[in-house]
Amino acid sequence: MATLTRQDLNFGQVVADILCEFLEVAIHLILYVRDIYPSGIFQKRQKYNVPVQMSCHPQLNQYIQDTLHCVKPLIEKNEAEKVVVVIMNKEHHPVERFVFEISQPPLLAISSETLLSHVEQLLRAMILKISVCDAVLDSNPPGCTFTVLVHTREAATRNMEKVQVIKDFPWIVADEQEVHMEEAKLIPLKTMTSDILKMQLYVEEKTQKSS
Amino acid sequence: MDDLYLDNIDEFVNDQNKIVTYKWLSLTLGVHVNTAKQMLYHYLEQKRNESSGTALHATYLVSGKCVVNGTPCHKVSVVREEKLEAVKAKMEMTISVHVYSVQRAELKDSSPLYTTDYDAVKENLKNCSKYSAIRCAAAVPMSSAELQRAQEIALVPSAEKENRKPGLNEPAATSKPSAKPPAGIMGMFASKSASKVQESSKEVKTEQKDDSSSVETSKTKPASKANPMSNFFGKSAQKKVEEKPKKSIKEETDGGSTSSASGNIKQSQVSPKSDGEVKEEQSKTSRALKSETKDTRNKTKRPEVVDSDDEPVESQQKKRRRIKKPQPDSSDDEVVPDSPPVPNIQTPSPKKQVKKETVSHQEDGSVVKRRKRRRVLKSHTFVDEEGCFVTEKGYVSESYSESEEEPEPTSQAKDSSSLKQSFGKKEEEKKEKGQKKTSAASKPTKQPSIMGFFQKK
Repeated sequence: MATLTRQDLNFGQVVADILCEFLEVAIHLILYVRDIYPSGIFQKRQKYNVPVQMSCHPQLNQYIQDTLHCVKPLIEKNEAEKVVVVIMNKEHHPVERFVFEISQPPLLAISSETLLSHVEQLLRAMILKISVCDAVLDSNPPGCTFTVLVHTREAATRNMEKVQVIKDFPWIVADEQEVHMEEAKLIPLKTMTSDILKMQLYVEEKTQKSS
Repeated sequence: MDDLYLDNIDEFVNDQNKIVTYKWLSLTLGVHVNTAKQMLYHYLEQKRNESSGTALHATYLVSGKCVVNGTPCHKVSVVREEKLEAVKAKMEMTISVHVYSVQRAELKDSSPLYTTDYDAVKENLKNCSKYSAIRCAAAVPMSSAELQRAQEIALVPSAEKENRKPGLNEPAATSKPSAKPPAGIMGMFASKSASKVQESSKEVKTEQKDDSSSVETSKTKPASKANPMSNFFGKSAQKKVEEKPKKSIKEETDGGSTSSASGNIKQSQVSPKSDGEVKEEQSKTSRALKSETKDTRNKTKRPEVVDSDDEPVESQQKKRRRIKKPQPDSSDDEVVPDSPPVPNIQTPSPKKQVKKETVSHQEDGSVVKRRKRRRVLKSHTFVDEEGCFVTEKGYVSESYSESEEEPEPTSQAKDSSSLKQSFGKKEEEKKEKGQKKTSAASKPTKQPSIMGFFQKK
């Protein structure tokens, strides 16, 4: 088996593709499970050989796609540390943060045979965990919105500001109030470890959501 | 029942926050599905009685008869606990109700249920029904022997199809069929003409041949044995002048079964022969084969071929196939392979030589080949000093040098050449080159090319 390293641009792209694909599925599913949008806009789609819920709202879908399109270059360069889906209440205070913590091994030694099916299984398990996460989370107050934050490593932020991957879709430094959550409790959902990717998903939840 | 399973389920549901379906539980704990359903039910009962801790959600499977849009039907549905009574009320007759899953999350749709089962089933894909309550007594897995037989049966028809296709169609795909039929024909003639060869080859034949083929071969063989070579030749000797051309024709016809045109020619040629003095079983068999579809010919011939010269024939066939594949285009190619088998020569070596030559031509550059092959193929039959019939076919238009050059470069040709070389050398030594030369002179293309081929090797 050929050993691919991070220097192989193609391989970095493959990882980024897989991850962004998963993040898209996950974001849709989180929005569905957490009742951010009415369930009427969601439809069943098949991903990773299992049914998942996906929004049919074109503008929402476009927003998610654009967001991930900008995240992808960071993942390719292994500069993204966390991708966070923040659920905010009407006052724009976060009540839940779905944190996807990403770590890519510096040396990618993979065998192409086991790679994809194994990763798919892991991602499927993660999808399943997201779909049952409401069992461990309190219900959200009405009128919640969501946003996506990216925690980058080092100086990647500056590059992002300079170069807009998508025109008129700039990234800005998140407000402090969007990032910090008081009295948060940590709820681990799932971790996965594969040859190409390590990822853990946990939720930071505000203890008193209604306040 | 042991109550430990209650702790197990509690761990799955509460600690691991899993959806526990009866199927997943059955596969995970290795219990029968009905047992798993009972476990879930007991667990649910117990938790409900305790009425403590976190809320549990359950789904139920309900099946029964109901009327939908005026048509009665049997409906199977998975419903949430709160809808259970409503669904049961709709059923005219409820046949089955059991717990489908238990989980803490309140499911918004059925997707997670499937996702839960998906990986459990996938991990036990080959025996995912081992705990199932549904059995079919008639469905018995095949034994390895049966399986092998079934695979062989599946393979044979496919091979036949391939043969048929090439024969019916044009040469492009014919590589396999063309090679096989000539070999079969060759084998038949060889066996009849040369009893010695047959005897030696018989052992090999029986082993290699299929059951059906062995039967056929056995029939042909005894006939050939009964009619020693002397008889055959004696007959032929009387008709030597006539026979020689006939034989050559026969050889050609036999070999050339692959191409439709060649096959037709052969058939016509053969029929006169059979009518004539030579009424050997071989000729009959060949006729029958000919009369039949080409496919049948191939089949029957194959075993025979093995008989005559097992290894060489096979190698030749392989070679031909290989060659043909790259050069599927020209119909001439097909004819050429046919011609090689033609040499019914008593001694296997001459046949091989002829075949080899043809092969080499085929193998040779596709560019040159097509032109050459399209030209008329002529066959000359003559008796060697040793008394062997040698049939050589050559394209009039082909040039000697080209034929020689071509075989070497191609790997296929080399493979064939190794076998051919041994035979070819012997033959050359035994047989007078003069005869060949004369034939070659008359037929400049093939014979010279053959000579060159062997010499180089």
